[in-house]
Amino acid sequence: MAETRGATVEFRSVTKRYGDTVAVDGLSFAVPAGRICVLVGPSGCGKTTSLRMVNRLIEPTSGEILIDGENVLQGDPTELRRRIGYVIQQTGLFPHQTVADNIATVPRLLGWPKERIGARVDELLTLIGLDVRMLRRYPAQLSGGERQRVGVARAMAARPPVMLMDEPFAAVDPIVRERLQNEFLRLQRDQGITVIFVTHDIDEAIKLGDRVAIMRAGKLVQYAPPGELLAHPADDFVARFVGSDRGLKRLSLLTVGGADIDPNFDRSRLDGAPVLSPSMTLRDALAAMLASESQTGKVMDGDRYLGALTLAKIGAMLRVETPA
Amino acid sequence: MTPGEPLVRWDWVANHTGEIGLRIGEHLELTIIAVVLGLAIAFALAFAGLRLPHLYPPITAFAGILYTIPSLALFAFLVPYTGLSLLTAEIGLVSYTLLILVRNIVSGIRSVPSEVRDAALGMGYTPRAILWRIELPLALGVIFAGIRVATITTIGLVTVTALIGQGGLGYLILLGIQQFFSTPLIVGATLSVALAVAADGALVLVQRSLMPWTRVR
Repeated sequence: MAETRGATVEFRSVTKRYGDTVAVDGLSFAVPAGRICVLVGPSGCGKTTSLRMVNRLIEPTSGEILIDGENVLQGDPTELRRRIGYVIQQTGLFPHQTVADNIATVPRLLGWPKERIGARVDELLTLIGLDVRMLRRYPAQLSGGERQRVGVARAMAARPPVMLMDEPFAAVDPIVRERLQNEFLRLQRDQGITVIFVTHDIDEAIKLGDRVAIMRAGKLVQYAPPGELLAHPADDFVARFVGSDRGLKRLSLLTVGGADIDPNFDRSRLDGAPVLSPSMTLRDALAAMLASESQTGKVMDGDRYLGALTLAKIGAMLRVETPA
Repeated sequence: MTPGEPLVRWDWVANHTGEIGLRIGEHLELTIIAVVLGLAIAFALAFAGLRLPHLYPPITAFAGILYTIPSLALFAFLVPYTGLSLLTAEIGLVSYTLLILVRNIVSGIRSVPSEVRDAALGMGYTPRAILWRIELPLALGVIFAGIRVATITTIGLVTVTALIGQGGLGYLILLGIQQFFSTPLIVGATLSVALAVAADGALVLVQRSLMPWTRVR
């Protein structure tokens, strides 16, 4: 699957004005190749406008957007859009086309030979975990989750180096959403696509983003990896936006293996303590310890005893600094 | 009508099958020409109205005025210019199809969900390809509803064109009126209704075969 290679995406002082209203104000940030950048913020903050400027569904008033160093504002927008994957909330699947035809959209527009399109459609169907019987179905015959999967497969069909996703999982129920998020992460790592992802849900941003861009009133407030965002919010707005439970959220980004484990802790005192594995998140470890009313957890890598993790150590990680 | 005479004399019907068949053929021909021409003109007007939205209200107003002119008056008005001809008949018939066809084409295309249009544009469809491959297929249901109404209306109106010598089932009705003879009148009227019902059924079948995605589940 290594044929796809993500491209870098860079915003350089991008501004969008509608009359006197500034929708996006001097936006600058860079997304490394193969990474997920999540744009997040309250509604009207300009995140969707920013996304839609990348494939020129909206033309910037000023500034540049570069994909692999090439300014997207030069050249033909239609040709540009065929090189960029696009997924939206309501999926926008074509109701009059079968799943197979929907997935084949961009390869067909690019004029791929039939056999190559067929092979690619089959491959994508396997990737998103749908049965081949689905190929002849119409979108109306699919569940919400299946429709979203087909939407993602359609966007990936022509192996774009960049994919734009506008609240793609917002319309499905929380259980399906979590499954779709996990599948998407696996697929994205596998394919190495660069993704720009818009959401209003900070938890989704923290879960999916390699980098999170918090926007407010058209401006970029903070651009950082999720862990840093939670540990060092740039200002009050970010601190409030990530939530008062941001310490707890941060715990879900950290693993037991990366925490301060005491290897010399007397093992015999750990009877009744919950067993923790190094790959567990600290949040899950905390839950396990609270549930068994234990001050400590026994960290085991398979049969090997690694040491003890104490509530006090986790508590220390929760005390993240608040902005001055 | 002569008292004691049956409403339908079947012996007359049996002796005139050739004539009746001819009139059905004429009726169908007048209808098909009117609906096909009407569709072609309506598409041109609808596309103009979609491309230049400020043109749409005057287009529908014009088609609406045409629609309200009584058919007899329209034919009487046209005869001095175009004579007792097929042209006169079709100008009238086509005029009456325009309002419903233009309105349904435009509202069918406007009813395509905006996210479908957005996805198509965002994936690199050209605006022209969006119209032909996305919007028109999805508007077919509403457009067909218009075609069905236009066809049924036209089949009824064609009976009037017998007055300007264009035949059709209206000829039989006229014959019955002129000769105080109920049989051809009833035969003509009944067949006109039957033709409308059959045409409507046929259009439903065509529509279903063109829109397989509406038949699932």
